Amino acid sequence: MLRFATGRLVESLAVLLIMSWAVYVLIGLMPGDPIDLMIAANPNFTSADADRLKALHGLDKPILERYATWLMAALQGDFGYSRTFTKPALEILLPRLLNTFLLMGLSLFLSLAIAIPLGVYAALRPYSRADYAVNMVCFAGISVPSFWLALLCIILFAVRLQWLPAGGMETIGHSGLLDRAQYLVLPVLVLTIASVGGFTRFVRASMMQTLRQDYIRTALAKGVGSWRLVVHHALRNALLPLVTVVGLSFGNLFSGALITEIMFSWLGMGKMMYDAILGNDFNLALVGLLFATSATLIGNFLADIGQVALDPRVSFAARSSEE
Amino acid sequence: MKKFLSALLMALFAWTGPAGAKDELVIGISQFPNNLNPIIGSMLAKSYILGLARRPLTLYDAKWQLTCMLCTDLPSLEKGTARHETTADGKPGIAVTYTLRKDAFWGDGTPITTKDVRFAWEVGRHPKSGAAGRELFTRITKIDTPDDRTFTLHINKRTCDYQAINDFEILPAHIERKKFADPSAYKDHSAYETDPTNPGLWFGPYRVVKVVSGSYIALERNPRWWGRKPQFKRITIRAIENTAALTANLLSGNIDYIAGELGLSVDEALTFAQRKGKPFKIVYKPGLIYEHIDLNLANPILKDRRTRRALLLGLDRAGITKQLFAGHQPVAHGQTNPLDSVYNPDIPKYAYDPKQARKLLDQAGWTQIRGGIRHNSKGDRLQLEFMTTAGNKSRELVQQVMQSQWRQLGIDVRIRNQPPRVYFGETVRRRKFTGLAMFAWLSSPQNIPLSTLHSKMIPEDANGWTGQNYTGYRSKEMDKIIDDLEVICAPDKHRALWHDMQSLYARDLPALPLYFRANAYILPKWLRGVQPTGHQYPSTLWAENWRVER
Amino acid sequence: MTPSAPTQRPQTPLRRMARRFLQHRLALGSLIGLLVLAILSVSAPAIEVLLGIDPDTVNLLARFAPPSLAHPLGTDELGRDMLLRLLYGGQISLAVGIVAALFSAVIGTAIGIVAGYYGGIVDRILMRFNDFVIALPLLPLLIVLAAIDLNKLGLPDEIVQSENISLYRIVAIIALVGWNTVARLVRAETLALRRREFVRAAVALGTPPRAIMLRHILPNAVSPIIVATTLSVGNIILFESVLSFLGLGIQPPTASWGNMLTNAQQMIWSAPELAIWPGLLIFVTVIAFNFLGDGLQDALDPRALD
Repeated sequence: MLRFATGRLVESLAVLLIMSWAVYVLIGLMPGDPIDLMIAANPNFTSADADRLKALHGLDKPILERYATWLMAALQGDFGYSRTFTKPALEILLPRLLNTFLLMGLSLFLSLAIAIPLGVYAALRPYSRADYAVNMVCFAGISVPSFWLALLCIILFAVRLQWLPAGGMETIGHSGLLDRAQYLVLPVLVLTIASVGGFTRFVRASMMQTLRQDYIRTALAKGVGSWRLVVHHALRNALLPLVTVVGLSFGNLFSGALITEIMFSWLGMGKMMYDAILGNDFNLALVGLLFATSATLIGNFLADIGQVALDPRVSFAARSSEE
Repeated sequence: MKKFLSALLMALFAWTGPAGAKDELVIGISQFPNNLNPIIGSMLAKSYILGLARRPLTLYDAKWQLTCMLCTDLPSLEKGTARHETTADGKPGIAVTYTLRKDAFWGDGTPITTKDVRFAWEVGRHPKSGAAGRELFTRITKIDTPDDRTFTLHINKRTCDYQAINDFEILPAHIERKKFADPSAYKDHSAYETDPTNPGLWFGPYRVVKVVSGSYIALERNPRWWGRKPQFKRITIRAIENTAALTANLLSGNIDYIAGELGLSVDEALTFAQRKGKPFKIVYKPGLIYEHIDLNLANPILKDRRTRRALLLGLDRAGITKQLFAGHQPVAHGQTNPLDSVYNPDIPKYAYDPKQARKLLDQAGWTQIRGGIRHNSKGDRLQLEFMTTAGNKSRELVQQVMQSQWRQLGIDVRIRNQPPRVYFGETVRRRKFTGLAMFAWLSSPQNIPLSTLHSKMIPEDANGWTGQNYTGYRSKEMDKIIDDLEVICAPDKHRALWHDMQSLYARDLPALPLYFRANAYILPKWLRGVQPTGHQYPSTLWAENWRVER
Repeated sequence: MTPSAPTQRPQTPLRRMARRFLQHRLALGSLIGLLVLAILSVSAPAIEVLLGIDPDTVNLLARFAPPSLAHPLGTDELGRDMLLRLLYGGQISLAVGIVAALFSAVIGTAIGIVAGYYGGIVDRILMRFNDFVIALPLLPLLIVLAAIDLNKLGLPDEIVQSENISLYRIVAIIALVGWNTVARLVRAETLALRRREFVRAAVALGTPPRAIMLRHILPNAVSPIIVATTLSVGNIILFESVLSFLGLGIQPPTASWGNMLTNAQQMIWSAPELAIWPGLLIFVTVIAFNFLGDGLQDALDPRALD
């Protein structure tokens, strides 16, 4: 167990390191950095000005040297200043992280709360009309372009019915809990519609597989009440693989949802990363990416551990060689 | 019970409706400013917001006249407040004297003095301060401050527009001086970043009271403002990037007004107005945004002036602006706007004339038509690459119309668009476009086109790719006119030079003029006094005149 | 969506699969629907002749025309026939989806098989590479790719100056980063097959690894590949629309459903019908690919109930 965990940890750290380097180089490779754009926009800008600003922002050195400097500082916990916001990168990041966590967490919770009963229900009546209907709904959610769905929701609920705000984080001047909740409804709705289908389908498949297992059939034959059976035996086993899937989407809690955030002016990680990358804001982009990627890797790792912990049949020895 | 429920529901949803009492105005714009320091970097969203909370020393007003805002009078050679002098290294220079308004105070009650002027100059010219536009600050060699309100700038270059120091943004020395102790950290440590709600940073009719980064900035009336008392107690600027979401917010009452400076494009505003525009007053203000196509003059096809003229004659620009922009974006015949006082109405114009265009193409040797496309006797195909910013719907729309119109003349135009940062930061700036590049210039009135037309301004490796003469236009005649425009200031001669410049441009056509872009202001019917300027100085600079009228 | 990977696979007669697939009415309907859509899209030039209109010619006097005999679905913001634009857009969207899905399936299969067959350090490196690609942000990649001078890469002018260049770029980038699911599935499948008698026998007989992978493992791992690829076609079509939304997708004048939908967005108040059609087609196509994948999974899964 310990060997497996440390092995994975070391590997994951290597992935993080390589990725931060790759992203650093990629951002550096993007043509048209902000200072180039200033030259294009300002007729009085001289090449001396450009050199001066590049030096000031530390953009004049070779990219590898810059990366090394950044890495050393980051290892000591100094993530530097965001170039575009002229504030410490963490100061920009943390509130966004919180917002994203709230939005994505709520939608994940809601998706699971809908997906589990719906999936079980469909699995108990495979290939029935109800199953087909659930299937339809699931696939419908997965298949809608998210910005289109967001726009339709805004038009319906904010413009036509005027029930909910069209976007933003809070009513300016009011900042109660209830007020903030209103602003969450539409983005959470859009995200949930998009993700509930995948989970439901997964629960359904996993449940159907469990129901075919011999021990369930035996229990059924022995006359264990079918409802109890479902809850106590089948559901528990069927939900095990779901842990993996939820673990895999753990990263999303930190990386946000770009399109939904743009459409609802939600200040989340997705939009922040997008802007940071477009604005050549190395420090902000990298610290955000490190958070999101670490979360994904930790999620994968926890999913593996959770799988083992919940399912005594999977041994670590087997997993570590096969995973 | 029912009553109680409905009361509860009302309470729940009451906040989302349009606010009742109108002492608050919420403005939607499409971009959030990166920072609020007036000297560090420039962007439209920032100057829009700063217009409410600060005032420049001089600027062009809504009538395109140069005026003083923070000073009392423009300097003039006649009055003796400006005089020619020789710089230390023997070049012609000029000394200009301004006086600050007596009633000008920072929001915390500290009077605005020449100390602030001097401090801003120090910051602006310091190589490590991170100031973006240092040109003016470095041109000033010395500042004399005989008293707290009078200052004389010694400028090492003599130009006709010596009165304008529009880019000179003052800074509150009493707050910022200590932040500037380490100049290279100033951009991060400035109070504009660390403490933006400090009233001492602002001196406009409003001052910033809350900044929610990426979302909104709230401003309230500044009690120390010297001018007319603004009617709105509070103005909030909200940033919503997606324009469909922006209009939805307007319709749902989250915002009252979409700014013209940074809001919808004209075609977006038109489609909005068509079905949803009734409750709003929509003002289209054409201005100094010159939409045009730069031609790569090194391209053998485009080298021939006849071909360039044929390209322009083959475009139905009047039709395009009529159909796509309801005529709100006037056709441009050159880069000088007809509203500009130096405009020359008698320049060659190229109205839509496909017959003439075909004739010119024939003359230029593009006579053989194969598969609908012209070829010359060498067998070269009349094919050009046409680039612009990907994702800009207005441009993409116009671009496709033009492609279609040119194809009818037998010109094969291939569209290849790039994301803005690649396009502006690399392709246009380093003149990597092979044929046509569409974009716009935003300028102030009477802006001498030195950087776009002078042959010394062609970006190349030797000058570090600076300058904006992207077409590679070289004309001795044009160089001379531009050089003269800077120094020959006698009104008649100066005007004559402007006229010559415009006719030469229209004859040579280094770029194809398309139209002057308009800003679309989506105003609520009850809002009065918003005066669009049509140039780079935003309407917020006169926000104290905004009124509610029912 | 993670189709569960079956661990054992007795040889199933093709006919039984076909029968099971035919029973899956939604999948069958989807397949027919997709075929119709594909045929219609491919025959767009014929329809163009039939209707006697050119889909590229702009007519500013006939913008936003309502449906009529000449224009069965009306015209768009530049007066072009909506029906033809949708069909040509369908060609592009379907082509992007299918081609990119196929490419990423090939890459994913190769990586998955190698990782699963050799195991050990090779496996660990490839799987961490997989993690890396999943976490890599696409945005800078796309922008860098948009700026690369393709002439310098030695591509012929024909391709570089083609108006479909943005199409090739998008296919390339999706193929490069979209292989994860297939790789994971194939690897799991290979791991299981590696322990099977016939593979062990082949190894014992000294069959070269390449031959074992291609002849013994690949044919047995083909059904999860088919299912995952089918499902990813839908995802890619959605992804293309998102790229268009960000201004990084297929560039005009080439139409794709994604960029038509994005363009229509700004006219949502005055001409909502322009957004309805491409939106609906994306929706229907993606859902059909999902049903199809679902049906295939049921048909190819030997453990599914009969």
